[in-house]
Amino acid sequence: MNLAMANIRKSKSATVSLYTFILVAALLLNIGLMVITQLNMFFDQKAEQLKDPHVTIVMNQANYNSTHEEYLANYPGVKETETEEIIHMNLANYKFGNGELTNSAVMYNADANRTIGTLKLVEKLDASSPNDIFVPYSFKTVGGYELGDDFTITLQDKDYEYRVAGFFETTMMGTNNIGVMKFMLPENSYQSLAAELEDHSKWISLSAVMKDSANSAELENDFIQDVRKSQGEEDTPYIFGINIEMVESVNTLTINIIATILVAFSAIIVLVSLIVIKFRVSNNIEDGMANIGVLKSIGYTSGQILSSIILQYTLIALCASVIGIALSYALMPYIGRVISTISGLIWTQDLDMGVNLISILFVTISVVIVTLASAFRVRKILPVAALRGGIQTHSFRKNHIPLARAKGGLHFLLAIKSMLANSKQNIMISLIVMALTFATVFSVVLYYNIASDKSAFVDLFGSEPANVYIAVKPDADTRELMNSIEQMEYVRKVNIFDTIETRVDDQNIYTNVTDHYDQLENNVVYEGRQPKHENEISISWIISNHINKGIGDTVEVEYGNETASFLVTGLSQSIGNSGQIGSLTMEGIQQIQSNYKGTTLYVYLDGVSNKDFIQNVQEQYGNSIIETLDIDENIESQTSMYTAAVFAIMVMVLTINVLVVVMILYLVIKTMITKRRKEFGVLKAIGYSTIQLMTQISISFLPVVVIGVGIGGMLGLLFTNPMLSVLLSSAGVKRLDFIIHYPIIVMFCVGIILLAYIVSMLVSLRIKKISAYSLITE
Amino acid sequence: MTMTIIKTEKLCKTFSSGGIQQHVLKNLDISLQEGDFTIIMGSSGSGKSTLLYAMSGMDKPTLGEIDFAGKNLSRLNNDQLAIFRRNNCGFVFQQIHLLDNMSVLDNVLASGLLGNKNRRQTIHKAKEMLMQVGIDEKAWSKFPTQLSGGEAQRVGIVRALINSPRILFADEPTGALNSASSDSVLDVLTDVNRKGQSIVMVTHDIKTAIRGNRILYLRDGVICGDLQLGGYSEQKNAERHEELKTFLAEMGW
Repeated sequence: MNLAMANIRKSKSATVSLYTFILVAALLLNIGLMVITQLNMFFDQKAEQLKDPHVTIVMNQANYNSTHEEYLANYPGVKETETEEIIHMNLANYKFGNGELTNSAVMYNADANRTIGTLKLVEKLDASSPNDIFVPYSFKTVGGYELGDDFTITLQDKDYEYRVAGFFETTMMGTNNIGVMKFMLPENSYQSLAAELEDHSKWISLSAVMKDSANSAELENDFIQDVRKSQGEEDTPYIFGINIEMVESVNTLTINIIATILVAFSAIIVLVSLIVIKFRVSNNIEDGMANIGVLKSIGYTSGQILSSIILQYTLIALCASVIGIALSYALMPYIGRVISTISGLIWTQDLDMGVNLISILFVTISVVIVTLASAFRVRKILPVAALRGGIQTHSFRKNHIPLARAKGGLHFLLAIKSMLANSKQNIMISLIVMALTFATVFSVVLYYNIASDKSAFVDLFGSEPANVYIAVKPDADTRELMNSIEQMEYVRKVNIFDTIETRVDDQNIYTNVTDHYDQLENNVVYEGRQPKHENEISISWIISNHINKGIGDTVEVEYGNETASFLVTGLSQSIGNSGQIGSLTMEGIQQIQSNYKGTTLYVYLDGVSNKDFIQNVQEQYGNSIIETLDIDENIESQTSMYTAAVFAIMVMVLTINVLVVVMILYLVIKTMITKRRKEFGVLKAIGYSTIQLMTQISISFLPVVVIGVGIGGMLGLLFTNPMLSVLLSSAGVKRLDFIIHYPIIVMFCVGIILLAYIVSMLVSLRIKKISAYSLITE
Repeated sequence: MTMTIIKTEKLCKTFSSGGIQQHVLKNLDISLQEGDFTIIMGSSGSGKSTLLYAMSGMDKPTLGEIDFAGKNLSRLNNDQLAIFRRNNCGFVFQQIHLLDNMSVLDNVLASGLLGNKNRRQTIHKAKEMLMQVGIDEKAWSKFPTQLSGGEAQRVGIVRALINSPRILFADEPTGALNSASSDSVLDVLTDVNRKGQSIVMVTHDIKTAIRGNRILYLRDGVICGDLQLGGYSEQKNAERHEELKTFLAEMGW
């Protein structure tokens, strides 16, 4: 113990560096593990705490009858049900985050009696006003709203003005990635809105709490199927359902990815710490060879000396990981905010001793193993050899870069000589820089694709990257309108692109319908091809797994009350709609419903702003249009929460990278200057200036750093997409083509190299303090 | 007529440790002439090495002025001193201090290429000088640890001389060598001095000191004696030895 403490005291700065690495690694590991292990439980607990439903079905009152409630109540595993009137606003538009969001809004009466999904306000205004509205908590975390703010919701060009009077937590319909948003209005506001809107906005909400939430998706599926059957020959009912399973998977996906990145990054820092330990132990043994000789000669056993080394690093690891874990609790509120941003729920972190212990043990055991492996050679050293300074550790059998023959400037050649004489140290630095560069490239690619050029990210959701969406009135001629719009100035092309709900082999899926898939700009099929003929369909691989059918198989597609057989021609991917998608051609859907004509137009623009175009199209064809939507703005608004979360990750990764590069180079150069003190003294004595020696040291690290950055950068370029594909595979992603923007990657790589050079110059500045004379005489 | 190459005025060097001041050099006024082989002698702790390193710009004096070939060293900063040393001084150390990660030739060139622009000429000169001191081509690619003490010190001398310094400073160059090696090193030094190289050497060995033409004796930081011995000649070895012994006896050696 005394020896261990003496060693720690002797190498304070090295201990501080190592301590910091282990602390950061334990901190990140603990945060990542706590989030991963608690996330699913968090949703279930929230649902229970808020008494939220496991399934919510909303349907038009015209399609509703009491047998539906009975069906729900009698469904196996359902504990409790509740039915209430609500207002449904299709394609409601409101400001959210940086843009405007258009989706379905459902208004609940805040003062109605209910036992399921009761109003739980997180924040509220004390005084009430006639136009109060309660909005989900995500409006505060991502939407940019505060209590008392004005809130305008636009439906079919009519504005409804409210004041945000409170934020409520809800697991269902509380975030902008579900496609429907829940609002609550006090009695008076609710009734006046209901009176203003037409009958088709009067809907019913059916809620069910189940014994086991895992069956919620099945219940939703069966319920909608039952409603459809009960409609007989009537029109397709206006109905949609949400289940907690789906909400959980959508909301936890991004959080899980972030937590996994934290764990992976902590593993990189642990690796850095272990490499540093290996370097330190080897150096300490070489430097302290004479001391080892003395200790052995006075009777210390190898085991005792080994124990003191292991104890030294175990003490540092234990101490740092415990503090790191304590600090992780201090940082959890920030991580909790990121989780709240994505889930719209308040994250509360309890003490998790199990995860804490795993984090401590993982870090400490790794340290002990590496220390033991690095220090084991102490056993083989004989006291007499140690007293003589040990075995000659450097082998100079090869004179690298002979000055008489090599080409290049003297300082450059000396730097390269110095570099080649320290191969082990160079491998260590290269490995560390490589890992850090990989992490940097990974996070930069992630950020670039989610925050800057979102096209590849949006493709993942299966969205078609058009600019404007136009919902056509049922009585209008969709194709005629399409042709007319196609003739408008700045219109590049127009496609009919509907998303309807069908059943494929008894599975409810969202099905895209268009004339020709080769006219679309996002090909979601990763295997096989999109349908070309009237008897073909492509399905997502998630549906393929569900129904156990693939390319070449025939599936039964049901729409309304008609059914037809289709040949599966391709497997597609999408993380939108829980990955449950399919694609039919217009001719295909007309096999089932011959009068199907499509009701949605996707417009692709060139040289005009979406807003200007929307204004023009409304002026010219407003009579045929129900609603228009600025797709770009909607995407901007929907992705704002991902942008914030990924930005936080990127900043964290880059900050830690800078810290590690600085500390590693500080540690290595400081050790090197101490070891080569006399050599630098001699060089100074024969006329080398401080700046020349500093440049030599810095240049000697450059090739090593450049190699590390090069390999790390290449690995990042090659493996970022495959790694993200693996992370997102559970959500439906099979092929991921995030854009690798080379100029940004090169900029960051050059940044790391410059940082390393500047840090090397700054750290080697300590040579200046020592005179040539003292270097020789010390 | 010989020219003064180094002139010190009121040169003082004081070391402080734990609040205690130790005055190692006290108001020294010394003049060294170009072409001389000056020996600095004195008992341990008398300030010999301190004086050598102060005069050569390796260390800064606490007080006083050092004029080295018209340049006031006291006014130069560390980097200016480094450049000054590069152009004007050569050093030979008792512990030799060759760079052990470089070959023999590279040790010489690390200094030579720093001070000379003509690369080819410098390499040629380095090889020639190594040959002259008895280090043949086979040894050029060896590392310092593979050389004998005498060989290593001769390489050290070549390294010190490669830039044709105004003065060669040698701090007990034979202190760590056996008798045969010492002789070979001293022969090299004597030879280069005969060719006009100014040398200042610290030693406490009479056999070594006898190679010089001027002996300065230092006691407690003050020059107590200054003996002009004349140029070295093997024939007059015994006479010189006697003269030096008498001088040292007077100094209380």
